[in-house]
Amino acid sequence: MLKKIAYITLFALTFSSCSDTLDDINKNPNATETPLAPYLLTGTLKQGADLYWGDVNNFNSSLLFVQHWAKIQYTEPDRYDVSNASFTSLWNTGYATLITDLNTILNFSDQQANSNYKGIALTLRSWTFLLLTDAYGNIPYKEAGLKVTPTYNTQKEVYTGLLEDLKQAQSLLSLTNGVVAGDVAYKGDISKWKKLVNSLRLRIALRISDKEPAIAKQAAIDATSDAAGLISNNNDTFKFTYASSPQQNPASAWFETRDDFRISKTLVDKLNELSDPRLPVYAQLPSDASVGKYVGGANGLSNSDANSQGFAKTSKPGKYFLTSTSPAVIVSYSETLFNLSEAVARGYIAGNAELLYKDAITASLNQFGITDSATISNYLNQATVKYDATNYAKSIGTQKWIAFYGQGLDAFVEWRRLDYPVLTAGPATVLDGKIPSRFFYPGTEQSLNGTSYQNAVTAQGKDLLTTKLWFDAK
Amino acid sequence: MKKKLNRYAWFCILLVSIGIKAQETESLIQSKLDGTVIDAVTKEPIIGASVNIKGTKLGVVTDLDGKFIFQTAQKFPYTVIVSYLGYKKSEVIVNTNSVVIDLTQEQNVLSEVVVTALGITKEKKSLGYTTQALKGKDLSDTKETNFMNSLTGKLAGVRITNSQGDMGSSRIIIRGETSIAGNNQPLFVVDGVPVDNSQLNFGGATRDFKNAVADLNPQDIETLTVLKGPNAAALYGSRAAHGVVLITTKSGKNQKGLGISFSSGITLSQVATLPSFQNSFGQGSNGKFSYVDGKGGGVNDGVDESWGPKLDGRLIPQFYSNGEAVPFVAHPNNVKDFFNTGFTFDNSISVAKSDDKSDFRLGVNNQKQTGTVPNSEVNKTNFTINTNYQISKNIKIGLTGNYIVTDAPALPGGPSGNRAAGVMLQFLWFGRQVDINQLRNNRDVNWNNSYYSNPYWNAYYNTTSQQRNRLIGDVHLDAKIADGLNFKFRTGVDYYNDRRKYEIKYGTNGTPFGSYAEDAYTVNEQNTEGIFTYTKKINDFSLDALAGFNIRNHSDANNYQKAPRLAVPDLYTLTNSRDALTSSNSYSKLRVYSAYASAQLGYKNYAYLNLTARNDWSSTLPSSNRSFFYPSVNGSLVLSEALNLKSNTLDFLKLRGGWSEVGNDADPYQLATVYNFQTAFDGNPIQTSSQKKLNENLKPEKTRSTELGIESSFWKNRLHFDVAYYNTNSFDQILEIKTTTASGYNSQLINAGKINNHGIEIQLDGNPIQIEDFKWNVGVNYSRNISKVEILDYDKKIKNYTIGSSGGVDVLASVGQAYGALYGTAYLRDASGNIVVGANGLPKADSQKKVLGHYTPDYLAGITNTLTYKNLELSFLVDASVGGEIFSGTNRTGTYTGVLAETLPGRDAANGGLNYYVTTTGTTNTKTLVSGGNAPSGAVIYDDGMIFKGVYADGTPNTSVLSAQEYYKASYNISEAYIYSSTFVKLREIKLAYNFNKKFARKLGLDGASITAVGRNLLFIYKDVPNIDPETAFNTGNAQGLESLSLPTTRNFSLNVNLKF
Repeated sequence: MLKKIAYITLFALTFSSCSDTLDDINKNPNATETPLAPYLLTGTLKQGADLYWGDVNNFNSSLLFVQHWAKIQYTEPDRYDVSNASFTSLWNTGYATLITDLNTILNFSDQQANSNYKGIALTLRSWTFLLLTDAYGNIPYKEAGLKVTPTYNTQKEVYTGLLEDLKQAQSLLSLTNGVVAGDVAYKGDISKWKKLVNSLRLRIALRISDKEPAIAKQAAIDATSDAAGLISNNNDTFKFTYASSPQQNPASAWFETRDDFRISKTLVDKLNELSDPRLPVYAQLPSDASVGKYVGGANGLSNSDANSQGFAKTSKPGKYFLTSTSPAVIVSYSETLFNLSEAVARGYIAGNAELLYKDAITASLNQFGITDSATISNYLNQATVKYDATNYAKSIGTQKWIAFYGQGLDAFVEWRRLDYPVLTAGPATVLDGKIPSRFFYPGTEQSLNGTSYQNAVTAQGKDLLTTKLWFDAK
Repeated sequence: MKKKLNRYAWFCILLVSIGIKAQETESLIQSKLDGTVIDAVTKEPIIGASVNIKGTKLGVVTDLDGKFIFQTAQKFPYTVIVSYLGYKKSEVIVNTNSVVIDLTQEQNVLSEVVVTALGITKEKKSLGYTTQALKGKDLSDTKETNFMNSLTGKLAGVRITNSQGDMGSSRIIIRGETSIAGNNQPLFVVDGVPVDNSQLNFGGATRDFKNAVADLNPQDIETLTVLKGPNAAALYGSRAAHGVVLITTKSGKNQKGLGISFSSGITLSQVATLPSFQNSFGQGSNGKFSYVDGKGGGVNDGVDESWGPKLDGRLIPQFYSNGEAVPFVAHPNNVKDFFNTGFTFDNSISVAKSDDKSDFRLGVNNQKQTGTVPNSEVNKTNFTINTNYQISKNIKIGLTGNYIVTDAPALPGGPSGNRAAGVMLQFLWFGRQVDINQLRNNRDVNWNNSYYSNPYWNAYYNTTSQQRNRLIGDVHLDAKIADGLNFKFRTGVDYYNDRRKYEIKYGTNGTPFGSYAEDAYTVNEQNTEGIFTYTKKINDFSLDALAGFNIRNHSDANNYQKAPRLAVPDLYTLTNSRDALTSSNSYSKLRVYSAYASAQLGYKNYAYLNLTARNDWSSTLPSSNRSFFYPSVNGSLVLSEALNLKSNTLDFLKLRGGWSEVGNDADPYQLATVYNFQTAFDGNPIQTSSQKKLNENLKPEKTRSTELGIESSFWKNRLHFDVAYYNTNSFDQILEIKTTTASGYNSQLINAGKINNHGIEIQLDGNPIQIEDFKWNVGVNYSRNISKVEILDYDKKIKNYTIGSSGGVDVLASVGQAYGALYGTAYLRDASGNIVVGANGLPKADSQKKVLGHYTPDYLAGITNTLTYKNLELSFLVDASVGGEIFSGTNRTGTYTGVLAETLPGRDAANGGLNYYVTTTGTTNTKTLVSGGNAPSGAVIYDDGMIFKGVYADGTPNTSVLSAQEYYKASYNISEAYIYSSTFVKLREIKLAYNFNKKFARKLGLDGASITAVGRNLLFIYKDVPNIDPETAFNTGNAQGLESLSLPTTRNFSLNVNLKF
């Protein structure tokens, strides 16, 4: 009997230990260790667009700060009553998703990704860093993705570093360097990517123009003299066009279930003042038909004051922005023209600033479907719209602000730099009458990267919403 | 009853026939002895006691009346030996034909036997560590649907946290958290089979799915033994670091004759800790409200807060009145009335029998629970079998099986802020004027249409169901190889499927098209082990040794699919979808080979040395670090015997001590960094970083623990105490450390960290009064655990490890602090500690986050008093958890929304509000206090002025007046305002039991009967935090101390009847 048992035991043992080794067992069946460049590219485009156009960084923060939208319910963010837990997604998704995935492409062998993939990755990475530094100020740049507790670089280091990165991106991109798949933005058209690179270089040049005019001028010259050119029509605009649910436009998804935003009164008043034909695109008529005109919600009200404006008596943002396939516009033709106009006005490059200014407005009107030439020229010829050569910042600042509708982060940074239009903080805001000049660093930086954080705060000024950033401090 | 009697008669015949069989073995009939065996104290007959004639092989067993008969060749006088489990063996010389033998209950600590690691029973005195056991009755009488809750307060050093509500999960921690990031709950072993206790998907779930071990039926549990920490549990290896809970289920052993047990119980549950609400002001804002469409069409009717008009009966259109102005009055019980009285019906029956070759027990239990949240329901059925058969002289085989079907058609809407499912979310925004009856009667209307659907709509239509089918069982074999040498073999399995279905109805607010998702898990845990045991006694020395192996295979799989928007209403299929399905699946598998050995050397029954050693080879570690060895040593010295200290005062004195090390492996697939797929965009697949940097050089974790203890009893066991001190260091911990995302990853896996836990446990048990029929027993346990996070990474760059977050508060393992620091935004304070306010009178937040408390309590204590008079037993348990903090999302939200009673002061003149008027310049409103009639003529005077206690930046006292609404909302983003002490003292349990005496039971045709009435969670004797139960938590993970809109815990009353045939 005991023998029998021994045999059974032996059998049970061989049965349960099978042939697979412990190493085989620990091979992850759920995910891959070797990603593919096109899949990472699609991912970064989608996630980048979500980040730029989504609620946290756009319509629940920067779009309120620049008074494009206003809150009619739960007005805390509109009153700047926010904490250092409020602006974590730009940082976290920016670094751990976008920059990490793009670095993965950049670190690929030539067999895994041709140099066009790498040029695109470097361009998108530069754009991500640009968003980060514009919003927070000093950020980890040189050591980002390389160290567990990376040190922060100054804005000057970041902006000038990005100009170099983009120069390199331009040299990586070539029509003869191979086909790129997964490019849902430009469908693999490398010439458009090359134009985007130059447009971003021009954008950065102007960003540092008040602080480092010499570098800015050279960068503007470099960007505009590159053979690939700049974004030169609305088809070149860098944007991400959404699809249907669950991949619909984030603002559209939001409005499907919630109803707490309105177009800002500040913007509606301005558009009314200028008889701007974009108003019906930017806003809807209030649902209460008896109102019969566009009514914006005021920014920075207490919840009750905001509420008592009436949900049915105020205008929601335009349907153009709230359909599931609405695009997330990221770098537009109109912006590029405004930048060219300013570069001319600043004397960096040759050209006609006023003409470029008018072209920029025209490009914006076209972008929003206004193509009637009489409407456009009537608009452009108004005294209130005309280019003011004595104060280009006012003309460009105001019109750029209007053209950037929906692009909260860029409207926010250019408003801070150009200081136009003049905006007033709402009555119930909590920053002693000021409007934010930056985002808080994520609170987690204090616990996870404390020393670097403290050094950055010492260099830049207190981690407050009102601390002015380097590029902005004139 | 007649039928029962008949059945009983039949049993008797069966029994008698067995008796006849026994008698037939002796042919010569010369003497006849009629005997009865009774309990010396209760005088109740003892059934099934063994009676043997000394020096012969003659033996019988007492019958249902405790009677036995010998008709033998043996001549008087002879000696009979009577033994029965739990009683002292008795030898009686008989000289006549009839005898009554008294047996006294065993109360000797010296010979107490306990279950130790691998299910091996040992004399308690020989152990160098603490174990503590509970009887099945202590668990089954309480009728908790999650039996883990019934351990609360009864075991020293064991902390139970009941997550929430009446159908939730429970977390058990023994001697503090020793792992910074990993699972800290003990291993559960049922009849030698390790069972799974996962709480699957607690992170993203909208329901609190019960932890898996709650499937067990307490009626089936014979004993539950807790091995506290590595010293006791070293032989279990990797999984022993956090202790082991050993469960032995009932078997048919010792059941002489066929025994049938029937038990039936009913439990009523009421919500116990609802927030207290204010009932003076209703929905709205700034004192204004009028309903048109509930989403902003009227006056503040989209506002779901209670800062509206006074509830003084003024006429205002409301949601049910079709525009008609109706009285605006409070409905003080509008939240309470939503909840039902929960009912649990629990019925079980078991059949058991044993003879000299075999034993078996079969049991069925059915539990049907309807919860306090309307429509919530859980049904559970357990089938158990436990059987052994002696197939030859030396070989016994057996089988245990537990098949469990849990079927919950709808679980209560659970934790945190899910608008379609969260119950308390809506109620903490609930207009105080809302008449819940109007909502109950018509689920299509709601008081607010901006954010919520009708709460009954949510409860009845937006359901989550769960069905779990589970098999736990083993086959085992015991073989006697030679004298003292035995072999045990066992292969056991714990296998279950767990399927959840999430339905959101078309038309639900926030989910207009509804949705449907299915989430399915399969978990499989298999263990095969073989153990040789050897015992030998030479003169004064004894040896008790074992050597064995174990092969562990664990796998789990998950498959999730969701139709994000339904195509047509009310059809819940995955194909009824407007969009592409979102889906995910995962599979994981691990294997561990182990070899182990232990030896116990004893000297003269008073000195013992125990050694254990184990080596594991785990698939989850890289091949170079895969094999890890860990030893333990402990010893015990019974001083009372060794030094002959025994006296009338001192019965027993034992010193014990030990040192142990256990290792722990990683989760599967932690060695290579991976990229995940996301839903493809427009035909383009998407891959993205998993944001987690893994580590190809992982090493096993190590926990080293030292334990010292003393145990003593006095005055013939009238007083017994046990004190243990332990010190545990855990290091090389496998830590998925949160890193700044600027490092490229959200987290990185490292071997790091050192966490120290040390503490003391005291158990006291005494009988202050013990007279004939009356006994008063007091059991006290106390435990204090002190933890300190000493190092996170060895480079010392990382100061904090984030365990979890909620509502802006992080739970951290922070270097230099106790485990579980609550870290969040604090008020900005000046040098003397005053809160600094801005020019507007609102408090400012400090831009530097601070440690605001710790969730780990300072000490736990429990006192059970048991009064026994004849057959009546009354016991009550009071337990306390002292120290520690909790962040309360309920208080935070309820203060913001103005529904809590705490928000009443200052809201009008009657409640102490200050008078002020408002002047408007441009868009700026300025509030000015009215003092001495200085208001400009015609100005509107408000009476809800409040001043936040604090100072301006220049140090002068704050004089800026706020409206009450502004005042109570001012601290919403300042976590410090909602941190409370989690100290509480609870009257946990009162139990009244009556055991019918056997004679009386016999008259009813029964073998035994008892009735028990139990009240649980009866009242808070003390607590600090308002509006919630400080015991509640999010889930069973390590991120405790965060409360967020949790379901109220319940107060339970149950009545049980136990009958034995």
